[in-house]
Amino acid sequence: MSSSFEATMAADGLRVPNDQTAEFVKLRAANLRQEKEIEDLKEENRATRNENSGLRNAARADRSEIVDLQRAQQVIGALNRDLEVRNRALQEVNRELESFSYAVSHDLRSPLRSIHGFSEALKKSAATKLSAEEDAWLQKISDAADRMDRLTEDLLRLSRITRAELKRETVDLALVARQVIGELRQTDPDRNAVFAISDELRVHADPVLVRVALSNLLGNAWKYTARRAEALISFGCEVRDGQTVFCVRDNGAGFDMAYASKLFTPFQRLHSAREFPGSGVGLACAARVVHKHGGRIWADSKAEEGAAFFFTIPDSTGAAEDPDGNK
Amino acid sequence: MNRGIMTTKSILLVEDTPDDAELTMMSLKASGLLNEIVLAEDGLEALEYLFGQGRYAGRNPMEIPALVLLDIKMPRLDGIEVLQRLRADSRTSVLPVVMLTTSTEDVDLVRAYQSGANAYVRKPVSLSQFQEAVRQLGLFWILTNEPPKMPR
Repeated sequence: MSSSFEATMAADGLRVPNDQTAEFVKLRAANLRQEKEIEDLKEENRATRNENSGLRNAARADRSEIVDLQRAQQVIGALNRDLEVRNRALQEVNRELESFSYAVSHDLRSPLRSIHGFSEALKKSAATKLSAEEDAWLQKISDAADRMDRLTEDLLRLSRITRAELKRETVDLALVARQVIGELRQTDPDRNAVFAISDELRVHADPVLVRVALSNLLGNAWKYTARRAEALISFGCEVRDGQTVFCVRDNGAGFDMAYASKLFTPFQRLHSAREFPGSGVGLACAARVVHKHGGRIWADSKAEEGAAFFFTIPDSTGAAEDPDGNK
Repeated sequence: MNRGIMTTKSILLVEDTPDDAELTMMSLKASGLLNEIVLAEDGLEALEYLFGQGRYAGRNPMEIPALVLLDIKMPRLDGIEVLQRLRADSRTSVLPVVMLTTSTEDVDLVRAYQSGANAYVRKPVSLSQFQEAVRQLGLFWILTNEPPKMPR
C-alpha cells in the first residue's frame, strides 16, 4: 500500500520523507474513516429526523383519535344515561299501567255491580207497581251497566296483551286458526260458512298471543259476514318481497278505506253498534300482538265487498320493520 | 291436638264494600240457604272473629264456620293475607275458603290458589248471574262438599 502511495507521490513530483509517510497515511486513513462516519451519522440523523417527524405525525394522529374516542365515549355515556332515564320512566309507566289495570279490574267494576244489582232487585220487587215505561228505564240502567262492564273487560284485555311477556316457540298458525273456527262455529252452528285454511303455517311466536290475534281476526271475519247467504273466510299466506305475509280474507260487509287509519285504534269503530255489535278493541288487540312480535298489520277492503287483513310475524323482534307501519 | 274444634253451619262473609255485602247476603238468602251469615267488614275483623280476639274476644275460636267467602281487595289486610293467616293456623288450615272477587287479573288468581284458596269466583255484574253463582256456591260448599272432620 505504501509503495503505491509513494509511486503516486513520485509521479506528481512530490517527495515525502520516508519516516513521515506511514504516519501520514495512517492519519489520512483515520481522517477518511471519520469523514465516512460523519456522513453515516448525518444520514442516520436524517433518517431519525424523518422517523421523528413520522412519529410526531402519528402521535398527532393518535392524539386526535384519542380525542375522537373520548368524544365518542362521552356521547355513548350520555346516550346510556339517557337510556337509563327512559328505561326508568318506562318501568314507572308499566308499574302505573299495572296498578291502573288492577284498579280498573277491582274498583271500577264494583259500582257497576251496585247499579246493575239494585236496579234488578228493584225491578223484581216493584214489578207490579211499575209502568211499562218505568220498567224499561230500569232495564236501560241495567243494560248500561252491562255495557260498561264489557268495555272495562275489553280495556283490560288490551292492557293484558301490552303487559304480557313474549314467549316464542314454534306454532302452527293454521292449527290455531282451525281451533278458533271450531269455537266460532259453536256460537252459531246453523250458519252457512265455508272456511279455507292453509295446511300448515309455522311461525316462531308466542302461542297464547297469536291465538288472541287470530281469534280476533277470524272472529271479525265471522261477525262481518253474518248477513251473507254464504260466508267465505280464508286464512293463508303469500310471499311478498321475500317476506311471508299472512292473510285473513272474508266476503263480509267490508269497510271504506277512507277510515282505514282508525281500524287498529282501540275503541274506534267503522260500523255502528246497531249494524254490528262490538267495542272496537278486537283489531287493536290483534295489532298489539303483531307489533309485539315486531311485525306489521294492515288491511284492504271496499265497502260491501269483503275485507282482507294482512300481517307479518318476523322470527325475531330484532328484524322489526316500522312497528307502526299500518297501511 | 285440636279435638275441641266444632264446625258450625254459619257462613262468614268478608266484604268491605257495603253494597257488595248487601247483594251477596241478598243472593244467599234468595238461594234458600238458611245458614247464619256473619259479616266481617274487613280482613282484620275476619281474623278477630275467627280467632276470638279484639272485638270478638268473648267468642269461642274452636267454633269454625262451614265456609268463608273472602273478598280480595280490602283496605289494610287484603283477602290473600287473611287467607295466608288462616292457612298458617291449625284451627283454620283446612277451613273451606272461596275467594269472591271482582277481579279476573291473573295475578290475583295465581296468588289466591298458591295461598290455599279452595275456589275462586268472579262476582258478575248482573244480579241474576250473581245470585246463580252464589246459589251454586252455597249448594256445593254447604250441602255437597264434605268438610274435614279435623285439621291435620
